[in-house]
Amino acid sequence: MRCGLLIASVLLLSGCAHVGVQPWERDVLAKPEMSLDADPLDAAIDDHIYFSKEASSGGRGFGGGGCGCN
Amino acid sequence: MSDTKNPADLNLALAAATCALLGIGATEPVAAAEADTWSFDSSLLYYGESDDRVQDVSAAISAQRKFDDERVLGLSLTADTLTGASASGAIALDRPQTFTSPSGKATYTTQAGDVPLDDTFKDTRFALNASWTQPLARLYTVSGGLGFSTEYDYTHIGANLSLARDFNKRNTTVSAGLAWSQDDIDPVGGAPLPLAQMLDVGQGGNKAGSDSKDVLDFLVGLTQVLNRTTVLRINYSYSDASGYLNDPYKILSVVDPVTGDTLTRTPTAGLQGPTGVYRYENRPDSRVKQSLYAEMKHSFGAPVLRVAYRFMTDDWGIDSNTLETSLRWPLGGSSYIEPQLRYYTQSEADFYRANLVAGQPLPQYASADFRLGNFDATTVGVKFGHKTAGGNEWSTRLEYYQQTGDIPSDQIIGNQANRPQYPDLSAVIVQFGYRFGLR
Amino acid sequence: MSVDPRPISLVYEQDHWVGRFVAMACPCEVLIDAPSSETAQTLARAIANVAWRVEQKFSRYRSDSVVHAINQAAGEATAVDGETTQLLDFAATLTRLSAGRFDITSGVLRRAWTFDGGSTVPSQRQIDDLMPLVGWDKVVWQRPYLTLQPGMQIDFGGIGKEYAVDSAAKLAGSLAPEVSCLVNFGGDIVVRAPAGSEREWSVGVERYDQSGVAREIIKLRRGALATSGDSRRFVLKDGRRYSHILDARTGWPIPDAPRSVTVAADTCTQAGTLTTLAMLQGAGAAEFLRTSGCKFWLQ
Repeated sequence: MRCGLLIASVLLLSGCAHVGVQPWERDVLAKPEMSLDADPLDAAIDDHIYFSKEASSGGRGFGGGGCGCN
Repeated sequence: MSDTKNPADLNLALAAATCALLGIGATEPVAAAEADTWSFDSSLLYYGESDDRVQDVSAAISAQRKFDDERVLGLSLTADTLTGASASGAIALDRPQTFTSPSGKATYTTQAGDVPLDDTFKDTRFALNASWTQPLARLYTVSGGLGFSTEYDYTHIGANLSLARDFNKRNTTVSAGLAWSQDDIDPVGGAPLPLAQMLDVGQGGNKAGSDSKDVLDFLVGLTQVLNRTTVLRINYSYSDASGYLNDPYKILSVVDPVTGDTLTRTPTAGLQGPTGVYRYENRPDSRVKQSLYAEMKHSFGAPVLRVAYRFMTDDWGIDSNTLETSLRWPLGGSSYIEPQLRYYTQSEADFYRANLVAGQPLPQYASADFRLGNFDATTVGVKFGHKTAGGNEWSTRLEYYQQTGDIPSDQIIGNQANRPQYPDLSAVIVQFGYRFGLR
Repeated sequence: MSVDPRPISLVYEQDHWVGRFVAMACPCEVLIDAPSSETAQTLARAIANVAWRVEQKFSRYRSDSVVHAINQAAGEATAVDGETTQLLDFAATLTRLSAGRFDITSGVLRRAWTFDGGSTVPSQRQIDDLMPLVGWDKVVWQRPYLTLQPGMQIDFGGIGKEYAVDSAAKLAGSLAPEVSCLVNFGGDIVVRAPAGSEREWSVGVERYDQSGVAREIIKLRRGALATSGDSRRFVLKDGRRYSHILDARTGWPIPDAPRSVTVAADTCTQAGTLTTLAMLQGAGAAEFLRTSGCKFWLQ
């Protein structure tokens, strides 16, 4: 299981070498709502709520934790 | 602008033409920068579970200051007050039950037929976080952070560091990071000894003092632009927690192997105490988690779709799957509405059990904490936002969270079948947010 | 030498000298980081003279200007001097680089268009009647002789002010090379400073909808800023906003351009041209500027 996850990740990375857009085609990607970190406060709030009510945490980044709620 | 001409080439040709016009050689490059700005994001949140269970009000403010050369300082402060009670892990009975409170100085009683809720005291928590991001070399960015939080019985400090590198005309970013944290737990009344029995008020001996846990997290991530309208992120994380991982307030009922009812107990003469046999939980002192997370954002012209999936597995036997999706739909030029949906499912920990059975040997680890059990959870919500003429943004979010658990039928004994088995949870979440900037 | 009747006020504000005067129909100022009032006076006067000289020579409104003479020639060739030659060559390059969108002969279209915030739009017939008089390809340019077709007009409206700013900066650099100064002709700005100068000049970019309120504060140590905007000059038609900058190929303005574009570049001429070219991209302005590699601010 663990090896599988790691291998899948590496294969994905090597396939990414030529995918993408030219610098002048980034108009849509530059919109704030297209950022993957568009609402950090919402994300932190959600992470905290779900960390205290479920057994999983994080994934998106660091965090999840740091409280006595679980 | 001959529409095949690259604007960067055009700018170079323009610079050359300008130098010719002005009769100058190469100019010194322009040095212009925005004045340092602060931007703020604030929120007020209400979380309320049904049936008088946990209620939480929290306020958070985060500030970000951007410096000239892509360096960013982030600060955030959160305060929340928790009231109410959550399921203690003891099972419901047809008779009232009395428990000794965590402090060991009082008792509380649960009505017949109700799922016992532990006497969670009001608690206020403060958390402070700081982060710093800066470019390291041409395609490298480094960022680090510190965190601190404190509440009545719990203190946390943590630090993280990560490095990111861009490839392929910044279409691909690979990042790797490490986080470390140390938490000190000082439970009210002391940390119970593993699987110790709940005693009468004033009787010590079943609890020790404070304890601590360390967590080390490692994360590698890939962000990839797929095309003009789609971006993808994939993260793999590995987390190793060791130390005191128990919840010091969670208990298990010890039940009769035939009737399934909790064994009765009479408190010692002259003392208040539990009316049943309950034992404090015990979890392993180490937990290794791995997760794989994938998130994609796609723009359909104006609306933006987000889909995220996370798979987690750990050495406690828990596997979980999370699927989230949201669609941000613009309304007019300055507002938007964003319905959100989340579906979560987890399998129970190896040592999770609804209760302990009298007569069977005591296991090394056992917990009836519903958060380690087998359940599905769904969140439905909607967010509405509006940007003012000044560039600030108001938002409001309303969500409903429902958790439905399941105890395998072979674990249900006797009379338990007629009573609520799993402390299903439903909560309403209301959030107000305001984003603004200062110069 | 007669006393020049055009006034230049010179005051010391905060930590620098400010010289103010009017030229090219807009308020102009020079900010000078020098201790002595003599240096400040010399620089302010020299810079004002550049502004007035360029205005007198290249303004289409002045009957003694070169542009007026060219426009009145009605089909005859006009001989022009070295400076005019360079400006005409530059304009021709811009027309080529913009694939014809920018053209100094497009001024005649002013007769059809009124950009007053209303919704009056000329008919295609009115545009068609004027288009034969628009187009650099119709001009005969054989240095040093320029021949316009009868009825055609040129004007340096899009590049004259920026050229004046850069010329003034060049002069300031030779008169007082150790002094950091900011030249501002109606929003087209250049900071001329010695190499390694740490002195920052704060420039406020006005909000397009609230004059006098800064949307952005930019700290300029060296180089130029130019702003192009349509806060007062635009047409609203069918819910779309058309800026006053016309596409010379079609005679029509470009819809959905940003309200205001500010660009930082090494020279004011380059910065000003980039703002014009960006506005000519309409909705694609942000993408155009981002790719060009310059620093910019949009509203």
